[in-house]
Amino acid sequence: MESPAAIENIGDEPSGRGPKLVRRTDDRVVAGVAAGIALRLGIAPVYARAAFVVLAFAGGVGVVLYGVGWALLPDDRTTEPPPPPQPISGRQLAGLALAFVGILLFLDVIGLWFGDVVVWPVALVSFGVAAIWDRGNYDYQTALTQIAGTDSTTRPSRSRVIVGGLLMFAGALVLFNAVDAFSGLGPAAIAVALTTIGFLLIFGPWVWRLAGDLNAERRERIRSEERAEVAAHLHDSVLQTLALIQRSTDSKKMVTLARAQERELRAWLYASGETSDASLEAALQNAASRIEADHDVPLEVVVVGDRAIGTRGAALVQAATEAMTNAVRHSGANRVSVYAEATDETIDVWISDQGSGFDIDEVPEERLGISESIVGRMQRHRGTAEINSKPGEGTEVHLHMTGEGT
Amino acid sequence: MTISVFLVDDHELFLSGVRAELDDRFDVVGWATDVDKAIDAIRKARPDVVLVDVHMPGGGGLTVVKNITETNPEVRFLALSVSDAPEDVIAMIRGGARGYVTKSISPEQLAAAIDRIAADDAVFSPRLAGFVLDAFTETMPVEHDPDLDQLTPREQEVLRQIARGYSYKQVATRLSISVKTVESHVSAVLRKLQLSSRHELTRWATERRIV
Repeated sequence: MESPAAIENIGDEPSGRGPKLVRRTDDRVVAGVAAGIALRLGIAPVYARAAFVVLAFAGGVGVVLYGVGWALLPDDRTTEPPPPPQPISGRQLAGLALAFVGILLFLDVIGLWFGDVVVWPVALVSFGVAAIWDRGNYDYQTALTQIAGTDSTTRPSRSRVIVGGLLMFAGALVLFNAVDAFSGLGPAAIAVALTTIGFLLIFGPWVWRLAGDLNAERRERIRSEERAEVAAHLHDSVLQTLALIQRSTDSKKMVTLARAQERELRAWLYASGETSDASLEAALQNAASRIEADHDVPLEVVVVGDRAIGTRGAALVQAATEAMTNAVRHSGANRVSVYAEATDETIDVWISDQGSGFDIDEVPEERLGISESIVGRMQRHRGTAEINSKPGEGTEVHLHMTGEGT
Repeated sequence: MTISVFLVDDHELFLSGVRAELDDRFDVVGWATDVDKAIDAIRKARPDVVLVDVHMPGGGGLTVVKNITETNPEVRFLALSVSDAPEDVIAMIRGGARGYVTKSISPEQLAAAIDRIAADDAVFSPRLAGFVLDAFTETMPVEHDPDLDQLTPREQEVLRQIARGYSYKQVATRLSISVKTVESHVSAVLRKLQLSSRHELTRWATERRIV
């Protein structure tokens, strides 16, 4: 059997010294034999595959050749990665095509042949399909490698579609006339089926590409939307604050602005968009930043054993918020510490300042802040509030709660 | 004798600000804006205390701490960062820093922290104290070295007070112990943190940031 040698020799002439003949593991349908040969010849793999299909109909020669190739060719993992395919000139392509027809005729003569009515139509259809899919195949690969920057201009060229379509049509016509098996089916059904198949073959790659383009486009849009969102956020927050700071002459005000901004930016950067008061730490931090913004006094919040809070826990946070507000308003301290500790069963929060302090017994009854919002609220929710304060030594409020719903 | 201080920070503006703040109280012997230069210069200058930024190109503060601690174990480190992410804090402390403060610290507090570090003591900010308490709670899987991996009730109490914003002196008064005792508790906690066999600690810290 001299056909493999023939194919290789043809390959040798046009390309001079081409890439080594291997099986390609990166681009294969069965074992990469066809792709390897195509790489060697400088043609698209799909043509080599079509050639094998046609030869398979020529008395099974294609199958045998493929098997031989599979057995003999080294796979490319044991050698170097394949260089980019070398384009082939029109003349060389014509040469290859003529050589292939020659091989077919030769096989016909020596009798390895299923008959003219089978092989020639198959050949026409195979290469017709190959001509159409060729570009699709290549573009699909490029699209994969540069998913970000695809352009949707690469639809199959008109001439290719016409040539491929005609080849297919001719092949189908011959096959249709030649084979009796179709006679049972209604001509209309066959016509619809053939048209559908032809349509799919011609536009398949293009539709596939279009879907890929849409995908890439969507990704790009999401990305640019995200960028816009970040820009908008920075503009609304950081840039505004920086502008305020530049115009402010009060250094204390500047510090407060900067701190509030820092807190907000941190929350935005690390909280992954979550702004709910669902967890103890988030709730306390939110309360602290609100108060800080209103009163120019920094609050340092430290939480140990952060977890989600229930309705009673939320009430405790409200009481804590009230205590924080009192501390920044009345103590005169330059910072307020908030320390919270939670276990599965309990929540404890300490709000302490080192400011002026007060005598708890002298707080008038009507001062709702302490009696109602802190002590009363905690009692209603079966918790306790303990207030320690001495004039001149600062104040500490300890809120405690245990049991369900915390 | 004034304490000699070395500054490492890739943010020049911040560096010059801190330098101005510290200049009249300490002997600022040098500064560096990247990791490699910092390592060389610290080896030459042999300062008492190095203020080191956590996030820097070329390996960050942790690289500086580890390299210097190998050759000059007498140099003390105070980590200074805008980041208060637990994994940064824990990594620096475990790497050998004696304290960790955020850059929002006031100049007086920073000066006090440097004094403490120079006296071979540990500096625990309320936040750091909170992290340590959080990391050493019982919810963490118990591993091989229970003595080392657990905080004594007294140590926990001291950390709690610090987390509540009290100075060492106030903690001492509130717990009716001496400042010296507070310091030794804090140093013990730091040692446990640095030597802890809890490899989980870093993972804990990393997860904590996402929660």
